[in-house]
Parts: sequence; C-alpha cells; structure tokens
Amino acid sequence: MNERLLSLRYRWWPDHVVGEILSKRWTETAIPAIVLVIVAAAFSAAIPGFLSAASLADTARQACEIGFCVFGMSLVIIVGGIDLSIGSMFALTDFCALFCLDVLNWPVSAVIPTTLLAGALLGAVNGILVGYFRLRAFITTLITLIVYRAAYDLVIFRHSNQIAAAFPDIPSWNFIGGGTLLGVPSIVLVYAVVAIFGHVFLTRLRPGWHVTAIGGSRRSAFNSGIPVRRTIAQCYVASGILTATGALFFAARLGTVGGDIGVGLEVTVLTAAILGGISLGGGKGSVAKAVIGTLIVLLITNGLTTLSAPGGLNRMVLASILLIAAMIDIRWVKNRTRIISKVYVSPTYHAMPPIPATDPDSGSPFAQNDRLRNVAEIGVGLIEAPEDIILDHEDNLYAGSRHGDIIRFFPPDYERMEVYAHIGGQPLGMAFDRERTLYVCVGGMGLYRITRNRAVEKATDETNRSLRSVNDDSRLRLADDLDIADDGRVFFSEATVRYEMHEWPVDGLEARGNGRIICYDPNTETTKTVLHGLKFPNGVCIASDRQSILFAETWGCTVKRYWFAGAKAGRVETVLDNLPGYPDNINLASDGNYWLALVGMRCPALDLAWRMPGFRRRMAKRLPVDEWLFPNINTGCVVKFDEEGRILESLWDLGGVNHPMITSMREHRGHLYLGGILNNRIGRYRLADADPNFVQYDVRWGAAQ
Amino acid sequence: MIASLQRLADRVLGRGEATGTIPPFDGPLKPNQLLETAPIVLSLDDGEDLATDGRHVYVAAGERVLRLDPDQPREIARPGGTITALSCLPGGALAVAIGGREVRIVGGAHDGKRWTSVAGHPLTSVNALAPTADGRGLLLTDGSREHDCARWCHDLMSGGKSGRAAQLDLDGDGAREIARGLSYAFGICAAGATVVVSESWAHRVIACDDGQHGQPLVESLPVYPSRITPAAGGGFWVTAFTARTQLVEFVLREPAYRRRMMREIEPRFWIAPKLSSGRTFLEPMQGAHIKTMGILKPWAPPRSYGLVIRLDADGLAAYSLHSRADGTHHGVVAAVECEGHLYVLAKGCGKILRLSVDAIAREFSL
Repeated sequence: MNERLLSLRYRWWPDHVVGEILSKRWTETAIPAIVLVIVAAAFSAAIPGFLSAASLADTARQACEIGFCVFGMSLVIIVGGIDLSIGSMFALTDFCALFCLDVLNWPVSAVIPTTLLAGALLGAVNGILVGYFRLRAFITTLITLIVYRAAYDLVIFRHSNQIAAAFPDIPSWNFIGGGTLLGVPSIVLVYAVVAIFGHVFLTRLRPGWHVTAIGGSRRSAFNSGIPVRRTIAQCYVASGILTATGALFFAARLGTVGGDIGVGLEVTVLTAAILGGISLGGGKGSVAKAVIGTLIVLLITNGLTTLSAPGGLNRMVLASILLIAAMIDIRWVKNRTRIISKVYVSPTYHAMPPIPATDPDSGSPFAQNDRLRNVAEIGVGLIEAPEDIILDHEDNLYAGSRHGDIIRFFPPDYERMEVYAHIGGQPLGMAFDRERTLYVCVGGMGLYRITRNRAVEKATDETNRSLRSVNDDSRLRLADDLDIADDGRVFFSEATVRYEMHEWPVDGLEARGNGRIICYDPNTETTKTVLHGLKFPNGVCIASDRQSILFAETWGCTVKRYWFAGAKAGRVETVLDNLPGYPDNINLASDGNYWLALVGMRCPALDLAWRMPGFRRRMAKRLPVDEWLFPNINTGCVVKFDEEGRILESLWDLGGVNHPMITSMREHRGHLYLGGILNNRIGRYRLADADPNFVQYDVRWGAAQ
Repeated sequence: MIASLQRLADRVLGRGEATGTIPPFDGPLKPNQLLETAPIVLSLDDGEDLATDGRHVYVAAGERVLRLDPDQPREIARPGGTITALSCLPGGALAVAIGGREVRIVGGAHDGKRWTSVAGHPLTSVNALAPTADGRGLLLTDGSREHDCARWCHDLMSGGKSGRAAQLDLDGDGAREIARGLSYAFGICAAGATVVVSESWAHRVIACDDGQHGQPLVESLPVYPSRITPAAGGGFWVTAFTARTQLVEFVLREPAYRRRMMREIEPRFWIAPKLSSGRTFLEPMQGAHIKTMGILKPWAPPRSYGLVIRLDADGLAAYSLHSRADGTHHGVVAAVECEGHLYVLAKGCGKILRLSVDAIAREFSL
C-alpha cells in the first residue's frame, strides 16, 4: 500500500522539473520579479488607489528618473566597480540643465546636449581615475561624491535664487517634464528605448560582452585582449550620461535646485540594482533586473511615504533591504551551483520483478557457463573503449576508441591497425548504410557518418525541441546506438537527455525514462523524436519485417519493438522483460535471431534501492559518486533471442578476466566479435554451428558488388 | 535539549554525525601490500582463531584444534562442537569456546572445567579468549546477546550494543563482567592491570580497568577491529576483519532501507561489510568498483579488507599490514606472534599467512 502510494507520487509529481527550472538563468530574474509582485500586492491592499492609472503615471516618472541612474549604476557594477557619486552627479547635472535654461536662457536643444556632456565629464573623472589610474572604485567615487556635492553647494549658493525665480514656459521643456505621447509619459518612452538598447547591448553586442567579461574576471579579459582600462572608463562615462538623463527629466518636471536633491540617491540606486539581482561581485546582471529592482524600491518608498511613514524610517527600510539583498546575493552566487546540483538529481520509483536465476545449475536459459573462456583477443592495449564493433564485406574490423577515433583492424589476423577516421568524440554504435557509409553515434556530439572516402560528416546533432521539457532537449547529448531502415532513415537511441555521457551513473541513479528514440532522415535532412520517456534506451536493430526496430532499455531491463511503418506503425510492444542484467547493443545473428549484450548484471541491493527513491536521493547528496551503489557492469554476457521473446542461449565468461564487460557483439563469418566500453581489447569467439559465410552487410543490403 | 535538536537537524541535513565520513587510512595505517604478498602456510576453509603457547601455533578449524607443526598441521583436540575462540593457558592447557555458548578448558590442571553463563546471562557468542596477566583467570568477549557468532552482520545491521567482556576464575567458580553494553565486543587481551577490548561497531579499542568504565585506547578507526594478542616487543597485534565504507555507514543511518534489506535480501547480498567479496555479481557494487581497462583500483571502497595493526605498549598505532580492495587476503580475524614470526588467519580467503616480525620491523625502520 505504501509502495503503491510511493509509485503514484513519483509517477505524477515531476521532481526533476525543480532542478531543471532552477538551472535556468532566468530564475535569477524571476525571484526579484516575484518580490515585485508581492510588494505591489501588499501596498495596493494597504493603500486604496495605490496602483491606479494616475498614481502609476506619477510613479512611472519618478521610477524612470531613478531608473536611468540604476542603469548607470548597474553598468558600473557589472564591469566590476561601483559608482557612489551618482547622487552628487544627479544634483550637479540637474543644476546644469536649469542654469543653462533659466540663467543663460539657452534653447532646449542646446540645454540637452550640454547637460549630457556635463554628465559625461563628471563620469569621465571617475572613469579616468578608476579605469586608467586603477584607483579603488569605492574610494574614488566616495571622494567624487563629496567633491561634487561641495561643488553643488557652492553653485546653488550663488544661483538658486535666480533659478527659483524663473518660470520658463517652453512647450518642448514642458513636454519633457510632463508630456505624454498616446497616453504614455514622455520619459517612459525614452526609458523604454534606452532599456531595449541596453538589453541588446549587454546580450548581443561585442562591447556589452566585453563589459560582462571584465566584470567576471578582469585578468582573463585582459589576457584575451579586451581593452580593460578603456572599457571601464567608458562605463563610468556612460554612468554619468545616464545619470544626467535622469536629472534632465527631473529638472524639467520640478525645476528646483534644493539643497537635498540627490542626497542619499546612491543608496536608493544601489539598493535597486542589488535587489534586482545584479551581483556586487561583477560580471552578472541584466537590464530586466535593473528595471525590476527600480520598481521594487520605488513602490516601497512611495508606499511608505503614502502611509505617512517618517523619512527616517523610509531610509532605514531601504538600508535594511540593501543589507539583506547584498547578503542573499553573496550567498546565492557562492552556493548556486551547489544548490542546483543538489536539487537536480531526482531519483524516481522503479520496480522490477525478482531477478531470474543465473546459477550454473539453475536450468534457466541464463545459466552461467564459461563458453567465453577461450576468446581470442584482438588489439590488447592498442585500443581503448571499443563500445561497438562492425565488420565489412572485406572482413575489415572497425571499432571506436575513447580517443575519438574509428580504428580499423586488417584481416586475417587483425594485428595490423590504422586510424580509419578521427571524429573527436567517443564513437558508440555503428552501422553501414547501403552505400557503405559508416554511420556512427558519437557521445556528446550526435550522429556522424564516414563516407567511403573517409570524409567525416555530421549527419545531425539536434532534434525537435519538445514542449514538455523544461531543459532544452533539442541538442543530442548521448546518441548511443543506431540501425538503418530500407529507405535510408536512421533510427538511433539517445540514452538520456538530462546528463552527459560520463554522467551515466547519475542517470542510472535516477532510473527515470530520460531517453528517447530519434529518427534521422538523410533524404530530407530532418531529425525527429519518435519515442520518449525510455529508461536509458541503448541497442537498436532493424527487425526481420524491416518495418520495426528492436531496442533495449538498459535500466528498464527490457527489449521492446517499435513499428515505424506498416499496419502497426507507431506501436510499441515488449519483446523481452525482466532480464537478469542490463541490455546493451542488439545485432543480427546468422540464423535470423538476435544477439543481445548484457553489459552488467542486476543485484538485489540496487533493485531494492530503485524502489526507494528517497534513499537514493540522500545517497546522491551525502556520498561521493565513487561510493554510490552502482549497476554492476563488471560482469556481463551475451544472449541470443528471437522475435517472440524466447532466450535461446547465453554465453558467459564465468569468473573470467578477458571480457568481464560486454557492450556489443557482431557476428561475422562464423565468429562473434565482442566489444566493451571499458575494455582495452576486442574479443573474437568462434561459433561452432554458425553460418561461416554470414556477413551482416550482405544480409542487410544484398551481396556487395 | 539543544544537543538533541542539533542531532535531529544533522540527521535531516546529513551533517555532523550523520555524514558517514570515515577517517582515512593514513599515518601508521598507510596502506601497503605486506599482507597481500605474505607467504601462505596453510589453506583451510573453516579456520576460526589462532593461539600460541610461545612454541607452537594452534588453529581452531571447525570442530578441531590443529597444531601447526613445521611440515604438517596436526589435530590435537576435538572438543565436540564448532570452536569459535581459542586460547593457550599457562601450563599447557587450552581454553576453547564451543558454538559461542560454552567455554571449556582442555588439558592441564583444570581439564573439563566449563562455563555457560556469566553474571546470570547465558553466553551467546563468545568470540575471543585470553589468559589474565597472572594466569589464574580467563578473559572472554561475548560479542552480542542477540546473535550468535556467525550472525555478526545481523548484529551490526540491527545496531547491536549488547556485547560484554568477562573474566572467569580458573581456580574457583567466580565469573564476573568487566564491561557490558559494548557495540560488539570482539577481541580481548590482558595488559598489566587493565584489559584491552575491541569494540568493533564503535571502531575502537578500549582499555577497561577493574570495575571502571572503558577508556578508548585507539578510536576512530577506519576498520572494524577484532582480536588482540600481545606482541613480543611489548604492545599488541590488533586485527581488523573488515573495513568501513561510506556506503555501509550511510545504510546504517537509513533504517527504512536497512529493514527492507534484512527482510527481503539474502544476507550475502546485503550492503554490509564482508569477510570476502567479489565472488558474484549479485553483490552490491559501488562506483569505484568498476573495472576500467581490466583494473580494479586498490583504493576503491573495500567491501572486504585485510588488516593487522601493530600497537605499541602505550596503545599508539605504530604500523600496519594490509591487503587492499584489489587483494584477496581479506577477513583477518586473528594474528599471533610465535618465535619471531607473525601468523595471520585470513578467514575471508581461508588462509594462514606467516610474516617475519624482524623483516616487518625493518620495512618500517624500527
């Protein structure tokens, strides 16, 4: 009863999605966004009309003014610095705009560039000191904060009365301060344009990447040739210009040069940036985060003001939020990958019937024997990790190696060898098509082919993105084995979409259906997933009707049959169930039956663990991989079966050392050739009563010319 | 209160005591292959214990007591019943434990004297015997009150804490407990006024003064210690019948899995320490056990292990002899020193090994 509930819970509750969502980069923006929604909801519940259109329009103008400053601050933080002088710059450029307009009576068209230029100059001071002279950003901008503020106090002492007395009534100036276009405040439009450009700049343009690279690692950026000093200086200049933009709108809206303008603005701006999720450590941040941070901070300050909270409290709240956000930022950056790796692995419930007997005297078709004791060895020490082997009509033997090569051994003694082709990734399953092109599944790379004149070509490395998956599953991670239909379509298995090839044990720990069968059609150059949710699909072999494939599910311990054409097209039936071991490659036998490699054998302790997902989850968290309970792949065997699902015979190397692990076998002219992904040799076993002229290529495609 | 809350949090989060980390084989326990390469004196399937009177080595093998004469092992006694512990007493007598439930004297002045209970509780799994320092008494360890000797693994897996050490009076009928409530007592040796006892599941060797609580002599071992015998140069030989692994420690902290495993799976296929391993693929396999290019790493987590530790007179480990994960001389349950040689019984592979103590000492430049 308990176990039934457990199986239902793991069947319907998608544990694995949590880790997949968390490993998405956008979750870092999602968290501040949720905070924003909560803050907005809280204040609109507490204050009637808090989110009304009029209130929003007013909030938007303030938000955008601060927002420009936040952009500037964010840019500087991303490049690895900090700009504390923003508040003073804001005040000075505000004064500059109003002074030009009211005292010098310049036209608006001249005021705008002058103000922006003033901002650029103020920023350039920071930029030159921090960028070129490499002073500490914190100290430098703290000093310029004081200097600029002092300068501001001096100039307003002389000119504030003149500015206060002036009431400019210039339409274009008024439009900047309070105008709308199609109901949208002017500032919001400008802000949107800047935000979109900023996003494109940071994510798509070379200088933007340079900024992120410098923030991530200044030395690496320098070593890769990025002009570090200039870029940093430019970021401070940009910060000055963005601040000036905000100040310009502020000046147009309020037209005042009070003594407290911009006081404490740097704290507000910094809070917004950090709260949005822009990491103080540099190298991480986005425009969206800056916008969200701005909105949160503004909603909080406005909300508190509306609730008539004293100004001191307002500041206190902001400072506390800044502290908390900075703390979370540091913890998150430090622990993100750890948290994800802890959450990502999500074992599921997987129950199988008791293991069939394999004792030598059990009388079962799987009874152990030592028929493989006298296997001849090929290429001992010359080849590593031949997962699959294949022979052609001329008896050449091809095998993959973990160095990313296809090795060819020459008959008759297979003592001579050459690198037939270099692919670069670990070759797994192999098959010849009619034109004798060798198709190869390459772990981590996809489906490749080697033409008769040894050219290596990529057949496909992606398939259709499925809608049900959070992870992008369009890339092929672990193409495993393949076979080719009469019309040239290649059916291949992808063992798992959640892990890389070397992480197969983690997939075994999960025991979820993470794999799929994919079809590549060379005629149309298209790739399509035909079956998904399979438990580590592995070997693939075309069945006798040429309309279906047999495929092995390693963790499922089953062999199934899938019809891709004919009356039963689309159907899947189980051929072999509850195998005593983990099935791997399937290949044709000369008598019309099939050879199946069992790469490892089941053990009761793991079978029980597979029924206890919580146990495995804790094991994954608390033990290093080397200590995990593993599927036993130190012992394997070869069995022969027919399409009705009968086991006809089995070949074992009982207690042997030559071929403890077998991932593949290929029958050829009366011999069975054996490969193993962790072996350093290929085995050659003489089959007593097999057809001595059997060549798989000839049977499959007709005798070679 | 705070401590228990802390322990609870640790258990949920897998920290502190719940991490299941194991001290490394380091310092005096640095691995070598001395035990693996040691010459074999005798192969026998049912070896259980070794004893020496200073001239000969005696072997408890099934129901027989053998004497290792230079050319041939010779049967010298057959007390009737499976022998689970053996010791030589001054004056040429032998003390044997039969079936773990009875201690009997064979030969000497007290021939035929027997005990079946101590302090009102019947003996259940007597697994080690040794004479007291004055030779007038007999020390024993009774591994567990619930499980007999052969079911030591059940005792570990059910959190056994019912072992005891006792002293029998050879001249009179006195029999008293020295220590009780031990996490599997397996091995005892007199050391002057104190008695040294192996507490296997607690991974330590304790020194028990008369009537005192045991003080740890060696603790936090990466292995499960077993029998202890005196070394000629002062100090002791401590054997370890198997080593700890993080997976076993983890399973010990997983009651649900452990219960189901004990209920549903044959004991030889449990995730549990073993005297020997690698015989069948039905045994659990761990990540580092995968043979790559035909090689099993010797530093893989040992499902079974062979280890003898030399303790000096102060109880500090001096050096150790190993047979590692890729070896076969595993399940070492007894080691005795006789005429300059160390005889080691590796029960896991059913072999008695012999090493020259001088040669070992030279190896470690002592």
